[in-house]
Amino acid sequence: MRKLWIPGAVVALIVLIAIAAPVLPLMDPIRQDVANRLAAYVPGSPMGRDEFGRDVFSRLIWGARSSLAVAFASATIAAVIGTALGLLGGWFRGVVEFLAIRGADVVLCFPPVLLALLVVTLLGPGTATLILVLSVLYLPGFIRVSFAEVLSARSQDYVEAVRALGARTPRILLRTVLPNIAGPVLVQLSLAVASAVVLESGLSFLGLGVVPPTPSWGLMIRGARATMEQAPMLLLWPCLALTVTILAMNLLCDAVRDVADKRGGGGAKKLRLVDRLLPGLFPAPAAPQPLLDVQGLTVEIATPGGIIRPVEDMAFRLDAGRTLAIVGESGSGKSMAATAIMGLLPPAARVADGVARFEGDDLLRMPEPARRKLRGGAMAMVFQDPMSSLNPVHRIGDQVAEAIRAHRDVPAGKAAAEAVELLKRVGIADPERRARAYPHELSGGMRQRVMIAMAIANRPRLLIADEPTTALDVTVQAAILELLAELRRAEGMGVVLITHSLGVVAEVAEDVVVMYAAQVVESGPVAEVFARPLHPYTRALLAAVPDGDIEPEGIPGVVPRPDAWPPGCRFAPRCGFATEACATPPPLEEFENHAVRCIRWRELSA
Amino acid sequence: MWWLARRIGISLLLMWVVATIVFLALHMVPGDPAEMLLSTGGAMPDAYAIAELRERLGLNRPILEQYGAFLIGLSQGDLGTSLVDDYPVAEEIALRLPRTLELIVAGTLLAVAIALPAGTFAAVRQGGAFDRVSSALAAVLQAVPVFVLGTLLILVLAQWLRWMPAGGYTPFAEDPVRHLVLLSLPAVAVAKGLAATIFRMTRASVLDALSRDHVRTARAKGLTPQRVLRRHVVRNALIPVTTVLGLQMGTLLGGTVLVEYVFNWPGLSTPLLRAVEARDYPMVVGIVITVSGLFLLINLAMDLIYAALDPRITRS
Repeated sequence: MRKLWIPGAVVALIVLIAIAAPVLPLMDPIRQDVANRLAAYVPGSPMGRDEFGRDVFSRLIWGARSSLAVAFASATIAAVIGTALGLLGGWFRGVVEFLAIRGADVVLCFPPVLLALLVVTLLGPGTATLILVLSVLYLPGFIRVSFAEVLSARSQDYVEAVRALGARTPRILLRTVLPNIAGPVLVQLSLAVASAVVLESGLSFLGLGVVPPTPSWGLMIRGARATMEQAPMLLLWPCLALTVTILAMNLLCDAVRDVADKRGGGGAKKLRLVDRLLPGLFPAPAAPQPLLDVQGLTVEIATPGGIIRPVEDMAFRLDAGRTLAIVGESGSGKSMAATAIMGLLPPAARVADGVARFEGDDLLRMPEPARRKLRGGAMAMVFQDPMSSLNPVHRIGDQVAEAIRAHRDVPAGKAAAEAVELLKRVGIADPERRARAYPHELSGGMRQRVMIAMAIANRPRLLIADEPTTALDVTVQAAILELLAELRRAEGMGVVLITHSLGVVAEVAEDVVVMYAAQVVESGPVAEVFARPLHPYTRALLAAVPDGDIEPEGIPGVVPRPDAWPPGCRFAPRCGFATEACATPPPLEEFENHAVRCIRWRELSA
Repeated sequence: MWWLARRIGISLLLMWVVATIVFLALHMVPGDPAEMLLSTGGAMPDAYAIAELRERLGLNRPILEQYGAFLIGLSQGDLGTSLVDDYPVAEEIALRLPRTLELIVAGTLLAVAIALPAGTFAAVRQGGAFDRVSSALAAVLQAVPVFVLGTLLILVLAQWLRWMPAGGYTPFAEDPVRHLVLLSLPAVAVAKGLAATIFRMTRASVLDALSRDHVRTARAKGLTPQRVLRRHVVRNALIPVTTVLGLQMGTLLGGTVLVEYVFNWPGLSTPLLRAVEARDYPMVVGIVITVSGLFLLINLAMDLIYAALDPRITRS
């Protein structure tokens, strides 16, 4: 809000002074006094006198009055007529729409100053001409804004409801639609006023706007140019007044726009292209080693309300050629953990603790250049939404080839040929033609195949797939999972599959990690965990899967927010087995290849 | 190709609309246009002068005949003669237009060359010192009217420091160095508004592009940060920047009129302003139509660039 107050106060002050000009104790702004021509200081004239001996201070204030009068008058006229035209055009459509919208388009065919000069030629310079020209120039903005808003308002439920009640059109437009388009129109009004001040001063500066001797900032600058060597201040004062006024108005416009545009909320995040790095401290451990070994991974996000931990003490192991599934509800931290391992965390998040050894090297403490060489090379990732994850402005063949050339020094032609091979490999029919297509020309399933082709371009040993089928149709989902399973067998990759679907887990994974509220609550081989779930949450998840005739049971409540984790066991508030003992945080108990985070698991599974 | 033919057709149609509006403007004036053009400060113009001007402008002929003659003349590049000195309008424009174009091109190139990298850098280092200083500078530049900046440049660089001539023009063939020196200040003034807008738009759209999923994909491929920035961030951010560039060209053309006046650059604005003052209607019409045509042409070029940048436009 501070953004709105300061420029708002400045603009209000300028407007108030301009309004009050006749009652302020000022000298007559047009009375000439040749004896005091260009005087730097005369009693009663703090800013001196101009080339005709007129009081500069007084002219500055009266100049604000004429600039603002022209600006507000023309912007208001344009707003009233333009909004009316836009409303009617948007409501009645047909001929009215054609006239309003095409009329606006015609005005936009002319560069504004040129159209103004044409009208000045015909009607002669003067305040009335200025107001006429400026209102015509700002009409299109109001027509378009109100037209677009009415079109969207027309289909809104509240307008439909009023119509259904039999309200008459003028009443609907005035009472229901107009108040709802007030925001955008107000934004447009503030833009028009600011822009009108600029145009008015420019035309007056050319001697084609406000007619002398009426004071105007543009005219003052025009007059002072001839004497700028003897009296530079004469030039600087109106320049300063004009610039400060426009600056305040522009800032106010920005602020008004931000307020009106509610989507513009949510403070800007600090973004950096290269992540902050941690120096490599740990020596590589001795072999034999798993493909990926994650221990104690903790991710922190600094928010205005304090630090939250979307991933806490995460641990799992993945061996080459196997598939490990990470399951959990939305917000359980599973995707955040994967992006942390890849070094692709959003800028606000950082790894606070833990190790993630990929073939022995800790990814979390590796310098970014080294990790970059692994990314897309030895380890690759497939994302959830293939539409937004592909760059819309590059051909898909180029995007796949780019992945190849990021890691291998092959000529462009060979990379392109290889890209086509990869597209064929992931089951895209007619790959030569598809390689030349843009992402928007492909279906969702095909786009995900392209993502997979990019990921496997350099024969990765580790593939992390983050909900690769969530955004796809059910039939396509199965095909994509089959493709992943087939690639894993053929290439011997280790796959981490992030999903919220237990059906998917049962089908493709050998090991499973169940996450709840940033923590691992249970992990182990799929067959074992599914047959004999130890944690109440895993049981609840399994019970929630529709299975034959048995009615699925929902889990009461929702995952708590990361800033409000329960103090003890995080599942306790939703758990049917919770006791007083659950108020203390339970440790993750590990034995053989199974792990569970529940103090009552022994009695519950007995 | 169909798309291109259609887009060129629309431009021609708009050109015709512009010409028609300009033609009709004279007839939409309340009362007798000839009387209106001759009236200065309330004094009643001489009846003989009015009759002569009516004859000159062809106002005595039927309106459709006037319109037909106007369009035919226009299509042959005949814009009539000046009311002041009978000089052909088209010849005056042919002499002046290249100088105005030079100023526009120089200003645009300067604005893009500075604002595009600066906006990108400010976005990549969002919140840093460069970002804060350059964002504030852009806001101030946007608020300084173009003629104020021009006048202040003359005051400081020409009058006080005496580094630069205050304005004027020397043909390139005569003295290339002096030509470029004289071009520099007006070009800076023309560039200022555009540079401020491009900077803000580039910064905003690079920030937006940085947060897109496809940028994460590019990083997941293991591309170098420079390549991610160039190919997946800036390349995509150019699309909204081009749109804004097109929208700004109208303002740029108007600003050029003021800049030419401030720096005595003998482009189209000298005869234009002289003609507006002298109510020399044919000259004003000729220049307005020429500059509006230029505006439509620039917009067409912008659309082509836009289509080249964004494959979603022409292909779907």
